[in-house]
Amino acid sequence: MAKRQRRIRAPGEGYTLPAILAVGLHLGLLILSVIKWPVSPPETPNTAIVQATLISTETTTDQAQQAAEARTRAAQRAAEEAAAAEAERQAQEQAEEQARQEAEAEAQRQEEAEQAARREAEAERQQAAEEAQAEAERRAAEAEAARQREAEEEARRQAEQQEAERQREAEEEARRQQEAERQAQEEAERQAQEEAERQAQEEAERQAQEEAERQAQEEAERQAQEEAERQAREEAERRAQEEADREAQQQAEQELQRIIEGDTDAVSNAAQGEQAANGFIQTVKAAVEQAWNIPPNVGDGASATLEVRLGPSGEIFAVTVSRSSGDSAFDNSAIDAVEAAGPFSELLQLPSGLQRDYRQFSLNFSPGGIR
Amino acid sequence: MNDSMSIPHLIMNASGVVQLVMLLLLVASILSWVVVFQRSFVMRKARKTHRQFEDRFWSGVDLNELYRETPAEQETQGAEHIFRAGFREFNRLMPKTRSPQAILDGVQRSMRVAWSREEERLNLHLVFLATVASASPYIGLFGTVWGIMGSFQSLSMAQQATLATVAPWIAEALIATAMGLFAAIPAVIFYNRLSSESSRLLGKYEDFAEEFHSILHRNLQGRSDSGTA
Repeated sequence: MAKRQRRIRAPGEGYTLPAILAVGLHLGLLILSVIKWPVSPPETPNTAIVQATLISTETTTDQAQQAAEARTRAAQRAAEEAAAAEAERQAQEQAEEQARQEAEAEAQRQEEAEQAARREAEAERQQAAEEAQAEAERRAAEAEAARQREAEEEARRQAEQQEAERQREAEEEARRQQEAERQAQEEAERQAQEEAERQAQEEAERQAQEEAERQAQEEAERQAQEEAERQAREEAERRAQEEADREAQQQAEQELQRIIEGDTDAVSNAAQGEQAANGFIQTVKAAVEQAWNIPPNVGDGASATLEVRLGPSGEIFAVTVSRSSGDSAFDNSAIDAVEAAGPFSELLQLPSGLQRDYRQFSLNFSPGGIR
Repeated sequence: MNDSMSIPHLIMNASGVVQLVMLLLLVASILSWVVVFQRSFVMRKARKTHRQFEDRFWSGVDLNELYRETPAEQETQGAEHIFRAGFREFNRLMPKTRSPQAILDGVQRSMRVAWSREEERLNLHLVFLATVASASPYIGLFGTVWGIMGSFQSLSMAQQATLATVAPWIAEALIATAMGLFAAIPAVIFYNRLSSESSRLLGKYEDFAEEFHSILHRNLQGRSDSGTA
């Protein structure tokens, strides 16, 4: 036995060199696999057919700092908007108050204006009355002439009729009656003229006075109202602007302070929501990838982008092609995949603040290196 | 995703039994490679020394001189060892008996013993290689089956069974089979290669033993002829 032992351990048959070689071989393979692994992942992503990217909330999935910055920016914008809105509201209120005051002042002014207008109107009325009298006289004269003409014509017609009758009855009687008729005509003419003159004068005077009064009052009122309104508006605007500016500054300062306080909360919330959101994206991607049947004869370079809108509980509202691949079969297969993969009830597991952001996202479909 | 599916990550996350199987397979692989290297060196050295000894043996040198030149029996190998054993037995028996048949029987016996020692030396640990080659795929398969059992148990607890929930389990279970094959394939290849080499060397030793036996027989025949004549 001892002999054999010594023979086995003869030079060239030791176990140290083979052991070193074997362990070295395994270590080499291990290191090769470990070192090669970070290099090879570019091959594995080829299996990831669907690259889902969110449209609405890229900032939330970013680093927390970026999210915070974006949030402060958004908050500032919101604060400014809110301040502006409040300033507008207050300005409106003030403007209304001022308008009310102004309206009172206006009413007083209107009363004054009305009094003035009444005074003016009286003056105008007198003037108008004078003018109206003049006009009435003119109109009366014209009416007189017209009446005379009419009366003459009538008389002539009557005379002709009477003459015809008389001619038919008796020519002598006609001659006698002609004289009488002439007298009667003269009397009738006189009466008609007197009556016409009186009536025309009265009517003309009444109408002229009424019209003049109405016009004068209306004009005065209108002018007074316009002036009062213009002044009121100008003053109200000026004061409203001043007040609004002051209020907006105060509001903006308050909002800034509130934003600074809420900033830290926002950062932590963003970091928390980020993980859940990433999980949701992964889930959606995986589900869509599984449901996708790529149609044959599609080039490797083909890619389509779909826009997906979800309901509040993750059910699919709408799937639209936002960027077509040019191959309608490919687009339809992508739409079918999304519809088959839904509903995405995992949406409910997201924090409630994020749910709204993730209800709209876009999915990019490309067949990658699968075929 | 890539990180969770990388091989080191999968090995670290495997269940205890599967990890044990993997460790066993790693040890088997390392040991089989130790044997492969060691046997390769031994075979190469044996081939070289046999060639040198044959050259010297057939160079017409006197056998007594050759016997004196060879080192002690413990350090001789292969055909040299067989020659030394046979020649020593021949020298010991020569003065004791006159019967050539008895001498030749004794020489043959001692050479067979030396040959079987050489056989044992050359085939040392080759059985281990054969064991690794045949058993490690089954061991790896056991690890895989165990891992897939675990994966289905976990699948029964999940509400929504998708490929993504089963895939990591199956991947890490299949690593056991991969390691089994990784250990078995070189073991099979080198076992075939080394055993064929060893049998070829043993055949050469046998040939040499026969040739040496015939030389001694011729020598004894001549001596008995001269003795009787």
